[in-house]
Amino acid sequence: MFWLNLAWKSAWSRKYSLCLVAVSVCLSVIILLGVQQIRTDAKQSFSNALSGVDLVVGPRGSQTDLLLYSVFQLGAPTQNMSYTDLQRINQLPAVAWTIPIQLGDSFDGFPVMGTSIEFFKRYKSSGKDLSFQVGQSFEDPQVNAGALMQVVIGAEVAKSKKLKLNDTFALTHGYKAIEETVHTDHPFKLVGILKPTGTPLDRSVLISLEAFEALHVGWGMGLRPSAFDAKPDLQKDLRSVAELKPSELTAVWVGLHSRATVFSARKAIESLRLNSTSVPLMAVLPGVALDELWQIVRVVENALIVIGALVAVCSFLGVVSVLLVGLSARRKELAIYRSLGARPASIFMTVAWETFLVCGVAIAAGVLGAQLLIFVFQDYLLQSFGIQTQNGWPGADAWYSIGLLLCCALLASTLPAWRAYRMSLLDGLNPPN
Amino acid sequence: MTLAALELQNIEFSWAQQPKPLFAIAELTLQQGETLFIGGPSGCGKTSLLSLITGIQVPQHGTCKVLGTAMNLLSPSDRDRFRGEHLGLIFQQFNLLPFLTVQENIELPSKLFDRRFKKSTELFGSVQAHVDRLCDALHLEPALRQRRANLLSVGEQQRVAAARALLGCPSLIVADEPTSALDEENKIDFLNLLLSTASAQNTSVITVSHDMRIASKFDRVFLMPRREPQHVLA
Repeated sequence: MFWLNLAWKSAWSRKYSLCLVAVSVCLSVIILLGVQQIRTDAKQSFSNALSGVDLVVGPRGSQTDLLLYSVFQLGAPTQNMSYTDLQRINQLPAVAWTIPIQLGDSFDGFPVMGTSIEFFKRYKSSGKDLSFQVGQSFEDPQVNAGALMQVVIGAEVAKSKKLKLNDTFALTHGYKAIEETVHTDHPFKLVGILKPTGTPLDRSVLISLEAFEALHVGWGMGLRPSAFDAKPDLQKDLRSVAELKPSELTAVWVGLHSRATVFSARKAIESLRLNSTSVPLMAVLPGVALDELWQIVRVVENALIVIGALVAVCSFLGVVSVLLVGLSARRKELAIYRSLGARPASIFMTVAWETFLVCGVAIAAGVLGAQLLIFVFQDYLLQSFGIQTQNGWPGADAWYSIGLLLCCALLASTLPAWRAYRMSLLDGLNPPN
Repeated sequence: MTLAALELQNIEFSWAQQPKPLFAIAELTLQQGETLFIGGPSGCGKTSLLSLITGIQVPQHGTCKVLGTAMNLLSPSDRDRFRGEHLGLIFQQFNLLPFLTVQENIELPSKLFDRRFKKSTELFGSVQAHVDRLCDALHLEPALRQRRANLLSVGEQQRVAAARALLGCPSLIVADEPTSALDEENKIDFLNLLLSTASAQNTSVITVSHDMRIASKFDRVFLMPRREPQHVLA
């Protein structure tokens, strides 16, 4: 339509001021949609990480803490649970399988997880079984003692450290690598690289519990044996693989025969009788604990959304004010339209269309911009916060916001348009100079 | 019998909330093809009279017939349409949309109203042919036509405005002080070009101006009735 074309050309002649307000709208849309998408992605990737695990068992304390450190490797445990409890949990009739988890070491910033071969059989991410890019899982050290030197890594580790099958490397005790804390005396050979799962597992280095134990024979006070004057006889300390049992675990993931028994299983685990080595246990339903986590985060989340919405409102007000100010300079232009036979209603439409176009383009750019930023920072988000982001079409939540933003744009566009309408009725062909 | 371009009878016009009429005109008629000069001092209501003729306002009393159509019987949006289809308007200055080229500015009426488009096509073969014809007649060089309108001199702008007003052969051109922004030399040139081009198309021209020196160029001259002075200075 010719009027739209004219409106476009008119807007283009004022592109600098319009671009500036469009950028402000665009930025606010990026904030709003970015926060929303990261929120959804965070929830998604957190719940993906534990699909298939019915209970997470650890020393009694905060549910959220247990979940965060044992699954997402965020934070550190204050207390461990006794290894003997693993066997007692295994003997409970409701329990189908258990995955022991031992944390504390790292490899160049990536957390090392000691576990059993059960992990590779039972663990699911987003409902799918684990699979390997190359290689296979480490073997059971009880069957083949060579497995003490075997390591499996997640996709992200392989990518960032550029590791190939059969590479050897040493792990670090704790999270700070200084010479005295590197397990140089016990190098590992890479036997498998996992496919990406979109969970913290991508950033994990997996070894067997026995290997984890063997690493620490003779260690004390966080330093390796050679750091002490009194050189212990390693050969004497390291007796046989069968004796390499940890005394403590960080947590245990439990799978049940039937989901229906989850509450009675939890009760059974939590009421295991204490013995001399054990600490009181807690069994957490991952879904419930995650909900508790979201409860805590919700305040911040909502605050961010509210801030985003306020920024959006401000930027729309900016658009309205810039266009209103611009209208006084356009009175001549509007009078020319009138002289050419334009109805005041056409002038309303022209001005409204222009405002809506500016906002619409800005919103579209904001949607793309948010996607682009999330795409660019996806590694950072994954590594620092364990959030696996999704690129692609906006989700239902985002569409709702986009719809709301467009409504705001529509509302914003009626204000200058109404003013232009009134002005063109009042001025007729003779705008004041 | 051809319809009169303009027929005013017993017109009385006043602004809203003002009891006294701004002006009253008993009778004023202009035949099609004739040119009319409306003169009078500033503030006597010349511009308001033009807003009656162009259908922006309607008189409180009397009839205002333009090209045989009684404006006060049309709805506001029909008056707008009528203005776009049958009238060409020229202002004192700032006639052109600065973000369009000269060519695009001249073409505007044909883009906005089918009737203007068809008239040009019927009489000249195509709109472009009419544009060329008008530009030649108004001394607008071809090189000028692709320039942005805001880069033109005031004289050139007024001639482009005249070309636009004449495109699509409207029956009546209404010009509000079209020469006030021009210097003496340009003033006469512009008027000569406007009037000769208009008469070639049998278009009537109504011009209001306070500049009585140009009145002699027109077929008829009408002076606005003087209002009684509101303040008598001692």
